Amino acid sequence: MSELGVLLLQRLRRDRVQLVAWLLGFAALAAVGHSAVTSQYGDPNQRAEVIRVLEQTPSVLVLRGTPQGTQIDAFQFMLLFAFLSVLVGLMATFLAVRHTRGDEEAGRAELVESTPAGRVVPLLATAVEGVIAVVVMSLVGSIGYILTGANTGEALLAGAALASVGVAFLGVGLLCAQVMATSRGANGLAAALVAAAYLVRGIGDATGTIDAGDGLHVTPGWTSWLSPIGWGQRTSPFSDPTGWPALLGAALGLLCAGAALAVRSVRDIDASIVPERPGRTSAGVTLRGPIGLVWRELRGATIGWLIAAALFGLLVGSLSEALNATADSGLKDTLGGTVGQIAGPDVHGDLVDLFIVAMFAIIGAIAAVNVAQAIIRARQDEAGGSAEIVLSTPVTRLRWILAYLVVGCASVVAVLAVAALSALAGATAAGAPSSAAGTIMAASVAQLPAVLVMMAVVTLIFALVPRLTVGLGWGVLLLAIFIGQFGGLFGLPDGVREISPFSHTPVVIGPHVDWSAAWVMLGVAVVIGGASVLLLRRRDLALGG
Amino acid sequence: MTNVVEISGLRKNFGRVTALDGLDLRVASGEVHGFLGPNGAGKSTTIRILLGLMRATGGDVTVFGRNPWTDAADIHRRIAYVPGDVNLWPNLTGGEAIDLIARLRGIGGRSAYAARRAHLVDIFQFDPGKKGRAYSKGNRQKVALIAALALPADLYIFDEPTSGLDPLMEAVFRQEVTGALADGASVLLSSHILSEVEHLCDRVSIIRAGRTVESGTLAELRHLTRTEISFGSEGMDPARLGAIPGAHDLMVDGGRVRFTADSDAVPGLLGTLAELGAPGLTITPPSLEELFMRHYHDDISDRQSETDADGSRRQHARRGAR
Repeated sequence: MSELGVLLLQRLRRDRVQLVAWLLGFAALAAVGHSAVTSQYGDPNQRAEVIRVLEQTPSVLVLRGTPQGTQIDAFQFMLLFAFLSVLVGLMATFLAVRHTRGDEEAGRAELVESTPAGRVVPLLATAVEGVIAVVVMSLVGSIGYILTGANTGEALLAGAALASVGVAFLGVGLLCAQVMATSRGANGLAAALVAAAYLVRGIGDATGTIDAGDGLHVTPGWTSWLSPIGWGQRTSPFSDPTGWPALLGAALGLLCAGAALAVRSVRDIDASIVPERPGRTSAGVTLRGPIGLVWRELRGATIGWLIAAALFGLLVGSLSEALNATADSGLKDTLGGTVGQIAGPDVHGDLVDLFIVAMFAIIGAIAAVNVAQAIIRARQDEAGGSAEIVLSTPVTRLRWILAYLVVGCASVVAVLAVAALSALAGATAAGAPSSAAGTIMAASVAQLPAVLVMMAVVTLIFALVPRLTVGLGWGVLLLAIFIGQFGGLFGLPDGVREISPFSHTPVVIGPHVDWSAAWVMLGVAVVIGGASVLLLRRRDLALGG
Repeated sequence: MTNVVEISGLRKNFGRVTALDGLDLRVASGEVHGFLGPNGAGKSTTIRILLGLMRATGGDVTVFGRNPWTDAADIHRRIAYVPGDVNLWPNLTGGEAIDLIARLRGIGGRSAYAARRAHLVDIFQFDPGKKGRAYSKGNRQKVALIAALALPADLYIFDEPTSGLDPLMEAVFRQEVTGALADGASVLLSSHILSEVEHLCDRVSIIRAGRTVESGTLAELRHLTRTEISFGSEGMDPARLGAIPGAHDLMVDGGRVRFTADSDAVPGLLGTLAELGAPGLTITPPSLEELFMRHYHDDISDRQSETDADGSRRQHARRGAR
């Protein structure tokens, strides 16, 4: 077998679990989106109503996409295409960096490049694997549309649009890996470019013009031409099928991949276009103990989450008033039903309040992911061996683990506070009544107990079965988020929903808010957390694996 | 003389696998103690128990007379440790990592630390401005070595500290350790590099499969093995050669007579050798390598004589432990 074939198989084998996980996640998101749309907006008149509301709220168009009529598949395409594009884009860039700069950094590339495979064939194998992954993912999207009754040609075009975005970002990822010296840097740059493409397209969508005809189509503004996601969107497969914008993405991918191959064929191993800057030669004042160390390790991710929370909060704030001002009563009932199910079981109330509570449930999920990262970092430090160095100094186990818990708690509080403040700012700017401010503050605080319970549970997993921390920790967390916040949408029985701490988050609507569950959860978090810390002091350090 | 480290009958099980099976080790105050054994013999596990990172399944362990599991942090105030496989924080530079470890250990005098650190960075020819992931194995080891040697300690624990260093840097390491010993510190040095152990160590413990098989000063251990004696064979009477008292494995080959003798029997042989004339006489004391190989070799022959069935049973046990 040729070198290319061997390397391609090796890459597919190495990624088999990861790619299947991406594929399942992608399919699940698409399916959830589809079932939510068909169950909530089954009637074309409802969809027309929603589109009219969205056209008045550009901030939603930034998040979602431009309306392309009331046809059910077109409606879904508007709601989901940009999200799915980001997912495919990230999958492709991570894949590209993992097998190029990642392997180079780990020293594996040196081993492979010393064989007849040489410098260029491994990169080529990565590109081929990436195209296969992107095409399979897009086909799953197309098949999904076909299964739910869409026209086959249109469904395939929707898939091709997605594939063009994936191929474009695959090329971008390959090029980023040549530009940056570390896989961390390359992943960061590539992910930032994916996010930029999403935002640039969003600005184009928000500044689009409503078509004169039925008023239910929007043509995006010119900035959306700057984004591969914008190109994909302009194929408008279910309203006005146009193939050629998809070719732009494929061309960009090919161009970037070609540039990456050209750079790799002339550069030294370990070299990069942007060389890594030498860092400081001695430690600053903040790096003086375990807390300083953990903060340093989690700083980048935490700042990222804070920015996300700020943007999301701003959106929630400005939207809450727009909803109130625009929607007529029939739509309010429909929307109220949906957000009410996210907010909690049997929750009824004012649409704006419901909306705020539902959106803060999502911010709570973001905060929980942030806090889980802190504990999982503790496990990674233990497995990687740097914890051994710290624990061989006068730092006790207690002080060591508390550093992760303290930084984790602080970042949760910061994420919730930033989200609340930016939501307040957004609501005030949009001229919302002062009652919304109270709901925002209360909804934000109400998220904390459930998040802390999740932190304690992940810590317990870390204390009891350290080697399973990463997989089991993420699994339990995502399950809890899913059951707690979306269980209602899927009609899960109450008995199941009550397993998740997120189901017990106080609902801060109405004059008499019941906070007792919050206090109970705080107590549970303290007990589980305390027990975990004690258990952790009694076990061996579990190195490796 | 008091013992800084006192281990007797130490046992450690990981699931069904026995890593340490009654290990004994004593490090006296002020001595450099070599800790030798093949891969997987249990050296790193022993060190991790000494540091309170793992808990002993059985046996007695004290460090400075205290229990390393319950009093870990207090004991660590007096210890400097260099792991066998140094893993750094990917987003910290080498210089930051050195300062972090030193601060965690507790910097007494800042200017003394700064001067000592600058000296070590210089003689180890270390670039402290690179990020952790960019360092080679040897350079990562230098981070831990500089952090260990930059502050005084009562006990230095080195787990194969020079396995990634070049011979020049090995020499620097020896010189710095010798310097650190001047104020009465003790050293536990696990190593594969036998010349390093011979240069630095006062006493040696050799372990195999989780047990101590040999312990003592290098001189004592040499007594346990045979010295090799050889001289020119021209004109030697085979009958007289056969009558040399205490000679083992005698053979005549390539113009030389060679045999071995118990090291403490050598003085008694000198008269006979003088009578024989023994031209070009060489008397070679056993090297540590031979000592080590003798035990290691037993291990290899054991494994070779084991049946395949036995081998597969071991694998099962190991799998069960995961």
